[in-house]
Amino acid sequence: MAVVYTTRIIWLLRFKAGGERQAPTGSSDTTPGKGILYSWANIAMPWAMESTRKNPFMYVQFVIFHLGVVAAIAVSFMIPYAPTALDGVVLVTCLQVVIGAAFVVGVVRLIRRVVSPYMRKISSPDDYFSLALLTVWFFSAVLAVPNQTTGGEAHLLAFFILTAFFLVYVPFSKISHYLYYPFTRYYFGKTMGYRGVYPVHRA
Amino acid sequence: MNKERFRSQKAEKVLERMGQKLNRQMVGSMVACVHCGMCTECCHYVLANPGDPTYAPAYKADKIRKLFKRHFDWTGRVFPWWVKAGSVFTDEELEELKDTVFGKCTNCRRCSINCPMGVDFATFNRMARGLLVSVGIMPEGVAVVSKDQWEIGNQMGVLKEEYVETLEWMAEELQDELDDPAIEIPIDRPNCDVVYSINPREVKYDPRSISDAAKIFHFAGESWTMPSECWDMTNFGLFSGDDALGGSVARRLYEKVEELGGKRLVISECGHGYRSTRCEGPNWAQFNVPFAMESSVETMIRYIKQGRIKVDKTRNSIPVTFHDSCNNARSCGLFEEPRELLNLVVSDFREMYPNRAENYCCTGGGGAMSMSEYTPRRLKSAVIKANQLKETGAKVVVTSCHNCVDGLSDVIRHYKLGMEVTQLVNLVANALVMEEKAAAVTEKVAVPAEAVAVGAAVMDTPPAEAAIPAKEVPVTTSDGEPEGLPLAGLKLVVADDEPDQLEYLATVFEDHGAEVVRATTGDEALAAVRGEKPDVLTLDLEMPGRDVGDVFETLRKDPEFASLAICIITGRPELRKLIYDRSVRVPEGYLDKPVTPDALVRTIRKVIELRHDA
Repeated sequence: MAVVYTTRIIWLLRFKAGGERQAPTGSSDTTPGKGILYSWANIAMPWAMESTRKNPFMYVQFVIFHLGVVAAIAVSFMIPYAPTALDGVVLVTCLQVVIGAAFVVGVVRLIRRVVSPYMRKISSPDDYFSLALLTVWFFSAVLAVPNQTTGGEAHLLAFFILTAFFLVYVPFSKISHYLYYPFTRYYFGKTMGYRGVYPVHRA
Repeated sequence: MNKERFRSQKAEKVLERMGQKLNRQMVGSMVACVHCGMCTECCHYVLANPGDPTYAPAYKADKIRKLFKRHFDWTGRVFPWWVKAGSVFTDEELEELKDTVFGKCTNCRRCSINCPMGVDFATFNRMARGLLVSVGIMPEGVAVVSKDQWEIGNQMGVLKEEYVETLEWMAEELQDELDDPAIEIPIDRPNCDVVYSINPREVKYDPRSISDAAKIFHFAGESWTMPSECWDMTNFGLFSGDDALGGSVARRLYEKVEELGGKRLVISECGHGYRSTRCEGPNWAQFNVPFAMESSVETMIRYIKQGRIKVDKTRNSIPVTFHDSCNNARSCGLFEEPRELLNLVVSDFREMYPNRAENYCCTGGGGAMSMSEYTPRRLKSAVIKANQLKETGAKVVVTSCHNCVDGLSDVIRHYKLGMEVTQLVNLVANALVMEEKAAAVTEKVAVPAEAVAVGAAVMDTPPAEAAIPAKEVPVTTSDGEPEGLPLAGLKLVVADDEPDQLEYLATVFEDHGAEVVRATTGDEALAAVRGEKPDVLTLDLEMPGRDVGDVFETLRKDPEFASLAICIITGRPELRKLIYDRSVRVPEGYLDKPVTPDALVRTIRKVIELRHDA
């Protein structure tokens, strides 16, 4: 996974970055640096973009879904390396709630992708598969979080087999978008900051 | 099964050139899209066409992205069906792509600023336009306008005489209006603080904006001038995606300002002109601009702040709203300045929502006004803009963009909104307090031989004609040529490999009094020019033997033929880059076949006027 990611980054960096020769435009209190920070922070500012401002439900889904990913990844490390951490009921419940909510969001998103003609039109097999895979993974993670084997080990096996599969599949799929996010946001923010557009002014 | 389909030459070229155009930002935008659909509702095309997903930005982007994935991204190379990667094979497929990139997107960049991943669709949509243009696939209007800008130097084909006459006319109007013979519109005055560049639309359809600007410069006591040539600050390269055109147009203007010794280039109100000249031009032209550049909006604010002009906002009391041009606001950050100026010169300003970088396109952006085949689509999508305008309750919509003036006028007419469109320069001129006028710059400055001051009472040089360093077109001769024939006394070498064409052209020229030498190959043309020393060479672009581009460049570089006027006459306009991409002076004339006798004669007279004397 690391090798593939490194390869992808090197591949991306092989393309020459476009530059700006002109003097900066727009408000003098915006700079490329501020633009980059604003651009990166967009993810945590649902009010910054009209698309998230007008669709708070979508933004909440986004947050829950990605928290679920973080929680499930954490579980995949905790079970083998710090199993005692999962002895506490509170933590286990919290993780199950977060990952369970992410599972529900996954289902909602899958339905949206299938039902909405707009989403259907732009979706590739990878889009469906990646979403379905994550949703199933969330479900297995919910079952795996207590780290109990009294009823058998199938749920733990399923969770770790899916996790292992992710290691192989993620670099080849849209799930690796987080790899590109810093770059696209960096360059877009740099340009928009240089040109005085970022941070966006509204009135 | 590895059966590769036949691919057309144009499709081959598009894919080959795509690889040359990709930069890191574009590649990032190509790979980062997660198809989340958040951009969908940000596009005015989508909002105006509910239920039609083909307008969704992500869908349109995928039309281009699939090519990238198939040919440049290894996941698409290995598993194309899995990630919807695909290629293009036929010219028909390229035509379909044209319909998307030109006909379903105005490159307004609204989806770009609303993409959670920072995918800048507008940038690679422009790239796709450029790829198609490079193989001759584009809406006819784009071809026509690009051609005018390549060959005549401005996108509306305004000839120098027309431009100068309009400035003269506007200067006279101003002198009459203000009863002040000192008012002038200086042309080619060297070492001025301001060189003012305009949109050819102002010459053609809105000369009042020129006289309003002149009035403001006059009352501000500005040391200013307008260039006699290379005055067009618009740049169709932004719309067509043709970086070569973009760079060439921008460079011409920058070099002209340098030649004049101007300290600051002021760009009249035009969104794409401002973006092209101020922001993108230096990058396209690889030119480090040594002087300051600003929008005339910034200039006018400075004059008011410095007390150089006084304004009375009560003179503009009708309720106005402001439309942000996409290029100004979303690509250059020019959105507070127009509001600041508006609040100084109007008494009832009403904000439009959304505004600034989130405003909706006027629907005429991205060159859409020149693509008549998409007009019904454009006007349908304009319902979003129409609703926005209506909700302001304003009677007048102000915009700092000539393209938006036309786009909004169409929207207002189509949706019967009963509003007027105007620009800040008009409002500022209307609000000027004349009694407080600043002392105009009256000192004489050194003026080069070809400099002209239109309507200037203080200038030493004669007007108009002095600007044209041309040899008079002879209409009578001393050696017995028929008097009154328009080409009498001229010697032409006519080069064309098609016998019928050659005979037709030669006959027309001879019938109008010219002496004609015929050539059917590049070598013959070169030999004929060297032997006959003609006034004009007409060149077909595709002839056997020596490459026509080489013939052209050889003659251009030969000081003996510095005054030779060259006119391209071709049936293959897509080949014109063979000539115009060369780093020598462009031809004085250009004609597409078929060509009428009138156009032939008129053009030859014109190229004689324009030629550079040795």
